[in-house]
Amino acid sequence: MPGGYFGRALIVDLDDGSSSTLELADDVLRRYLGGSGLGTWLMHRLAPRGVDPLAPEAPLAFVFSPLVGTPLTTSAKFAVVAKSPLTGMLNDALASSHFAIAGKLTGHDAIVVRGRCARPSALLIDGDGARLVDAEAEWGLPAAEAEALLCARLGRGWRVASVGPAGERGVHYATVSHDGRHAGRGGLGAVMGTKNLKAVAVRACTKVASADPAAVMGAAKDLRERSFGPATAKYRELGTLANLLAFNAINTLPTRNFTAATFAGAPKLGAEDLAELRGVARNSCASCTIGCEHIYATKNGKKVRVEYENVFALGPMCGVSDPDEVLTASARCDELGLDTISTGGTVAWAMECAERGLIDAPWLRFGDGGALLRAINEIGAGVGLGALLALGSRRAAEMVGGGSERFAPHVKGLELPGYEPRTLQAMALGLAVNARGADHNRSGAYEADLSGDLDRLSGGQRHVLAAVETEDRAAIMDSMILCKFLRGVFTEPFDEWAGLLSPVTGWDVDGEELRATARRIVLAKRMFNLREGWVPADDWLPARLLEEPLEVGSGRVARLSPDRLRAMIDGYYEARGLDSSGRPGAAASEDLALMTDGERVTFRS
Amino acid sequence: MAPTWKVPNRSRTHASPLNQHSSSIVDVVAAVGVVLVGGRSSRMGSPKSDLEWHGSTLLRRTTAVVARAVEGPVLVVRAAGQLLPELGPGVTVHDDTREGRGPLQGIAVALAAAADRADVAFVCSTDMPFLHVAFVRAVLRALTEDVDVALPVTRGYPQPLAAAYRTSLAPLADKLVAADRLRPAFLFDECRVTRLDDAALRADPLVAALDPALDSVVNLNEPADYEQARSLPPPEITVQCFGVLAGQGGRGPRTVRAATLAEAAAAVSLRLGQHVLAALNGDQVTRDGHLPLLTGDTVAFISADAGG
Repeated sequence: MPGGYFGRALIVDLDDGSSSTLELADDVLRRYLGGSGLGTWLMHRLAPRGVDPLAPEAPLAFVFSPLVGTPLTTSAKFAVVAKSPLTGMLNDALASSHFAIAGKLTGHDAIVVRGRCARPSALLIDGDGARLVDAEAEWGLPAAEAEALLCARLGRGWRVASVGPAGERGVHYATVSHDGRHAGRGGLGAVMGTKNLKAVAVRACTKVASADPAAVMGAAKDLRERSFGPATAKYRELGTLANLLAFNAINTLPTRNFTAATFAGAPKLGAEDLAELRGVARNSCASCTIGCEHIYATKNGKKVRVEYENVFALGPMCGVSDPDEVLTASARCDELGLDTISTGGTVAWAMECAERGLIDAPWLRFGDGGALLRAINEIGAGVGLGALLALGSRRAAEMVGGGSERFAPHVKGLELPGYEPRTLQAMALGLAVNARGADHNRSGAYEADLSGDLDRLSGGQRHVLAAVETEDRAAIMDSMILCKFLRGVFTEPFDEWAGLLSPVTGWDVDGEELRATARRIVLAKRMFNLREGWVPADDWLPARLLEEPLEVGSGRVARLSPDRLRAMIDGYYEARGLDSSGRPGAAASEDLALMTDGERVTFRS
Repeated sequence: MAPTWKVPNRSRTHASPLNQHSSSIVDVVAAVGVVLVGGRSSRMGSPKSDLEWHGSTLLRRTTAVVARAVEGPVLVVRAAGQLLPELGPGVTVHDDTREGRGPLQGIAVALAAAADRADVAFVCSTDMPFLHVAFVRAVLRALTEDVDVALPVTRGYPQPLAAAYRTSLAPLADKLVAADRLRPAFLFDECRVTRLDDAALRADPLVAALDPALDSVVNLNEPADYEQARSLPPPEITVQCFGVLAGQGGRGPRTVRAATLAEAAAAVSLRLGQHVLAALNGDQVTRDGHLPLLTGDTVAFISADAGG
């Protein structure tokens, strides 16, 4: 067994609480590493073809990584992986901290649940094995309160991941939360909640060895020192909210459902001033030396973790500029267990529909923070307009019609993050083709747009190569797992990551092997989606972004034409070894080794 | 019961505030920029294209200003074999093989080189240290469909080397040169010309605000011209620092004088590089310290790790 692994996944059947183990061969671990990659392999292996994401038989996996439990900074992370109710495709969302360490030290590289509890329950896993306990007392509570209550009930050493009320009600973009951090995107909280599973509690009962502990210690010391440098200063000093005013200045801040890329109210929401007015604390995840978490307080004293994405989505995207209204909305999303990006995107779409007279909600208008909060509450409660909005912007637009599909801000059903594709055209491609949908964590192509090395308003072949490269890097960081806020400290990332993985696992792995691993993981995700009904039209952007140009301050006009996007997608397919319809050839699928009960996984062309 | 979000009657409409947020699109003109550098610079005593300009060169400045004003590429037309200083990205060089035939020859070569790239070209010389983007755009916009040349007539003189031309004029210009009719005026005699006097140029609000004296057409012929131009204070621009760069009292917009991006960075104690980038007027993100700045520009300095 390679260092850093146990070589097995725990499979728990929630119907009766029984469990079994799935052996994870060395070959599978080396091909998929952990986290997002191993989770993808598990979904190929365990998810029935065509399964309804909210059906009992849909598996939900908590996947750890070889680096968890080492002293390497930012390594205490885990991936939650399932078929998404929002997209109908593969979804992996990461979260951090002690749950990752305790979960792995139950002696498993992954914990998979399937089935459905007969009543609201919590799953406990420790040295005594897996068992279900009643969670009626926690049901209905915000995740943080449920976590605290369960920890108090269970005693020391337990770490808990939980869903909030939105997950219990099956809101399609509900989160799974641990210690205030959310595995946020794609509605994995709904998958968990509809299994009547309020929480998973884990307690460490064993240790995991690295192949070369002294070398790991040396690498950890070096990485820790580098993590204090200028490449991470932004995260330490202001957090990701520092993006907001910078993005506003460079016309990349999506505003009022992508009708503009600058927001007049942005200065009121910028970290530069808000941190002084409302900042109350800074936190770190377990095993992290960066400390990116910035806690702000609303006027009434409610504490909120503030990041760029939640402020963007609930602020400029909805036209709301009052910081208290934005922070209150963000805190409410946290309480309910809602992904803030999808919440903001869906509500912004609804605001536009209401203003256009497509839905009968005259109270819902851009810029109205009270209306935003009411919409969030209705989503969480599943009442009024909330029943519609709980489905996400794609499904809601399909139901409302009236042309609202063209401005529903999603790709594959996942709402767009705060990166304007017309002025970030490498990112436009990354958003269009990524397996998870419109997402900035699985495609970091905006880095190329903001590098100064290419024309961000005129996408072409160089943008294609940048999108492929950043997607590959994300695949490895999300599988080893390392926090992406560290990415700036690596100059030769694949080689340096191999240098971290080798002493942990004992594998003679190099940068080239990790590049191949990245391509395999990206392809495996695509193949899962193919298996579940992906069609070429899914790799595309909302019509608005292709039909409505944006003027930037210089007088230039940012246009992303369908032809340009098509050319970049074709280039991406070619670079990935896919055919012109985005499907891999037989040679590519040979490398994947996605076996399911003796049958090699294939896809229908 | 019908869902509560349904509109009872689809024909019902609300007055949409969306219109309040739409902005008019003022496009950068789809044109090629052409900078002529082939003159002999005999009065200047050294090649004008090589003249130092705030840490860069006059040619670098002129090509970059034109590039900001046009959607297409920028072409430099030089005498065959002429050595040029370093050029910015996206600038291509074309040789004029018939040296010494005057500006119309240069215009003919320029229009021929540009013809397969765009219908319109802005043509200027390299020695225009105060050329402003607003001026270039105003001239280009004057080239309406019924016109072949938009010719500024400023300070009492026509400015054929600060004018906009239809590239389809290339054969006519070539024919005139071949017939030794070497003055641009001969070309203007045979095509549709709109002449832009000072008032017409200043009617453009951006020109009126940013280049009211029409200094864009000032050119340098002798060392004294250059010395005087070089001694003038750099343009006034607005600088704003974001994120961690806004620390230590550096928040909010500030007015500084700077002729290049590097000078602007230095004015706020920054240095462009691995961790510091800039965006000019919300456009491209760059580390190019030689990028020329003009009156009215706004520079945003951002940290290189912008993004989530």
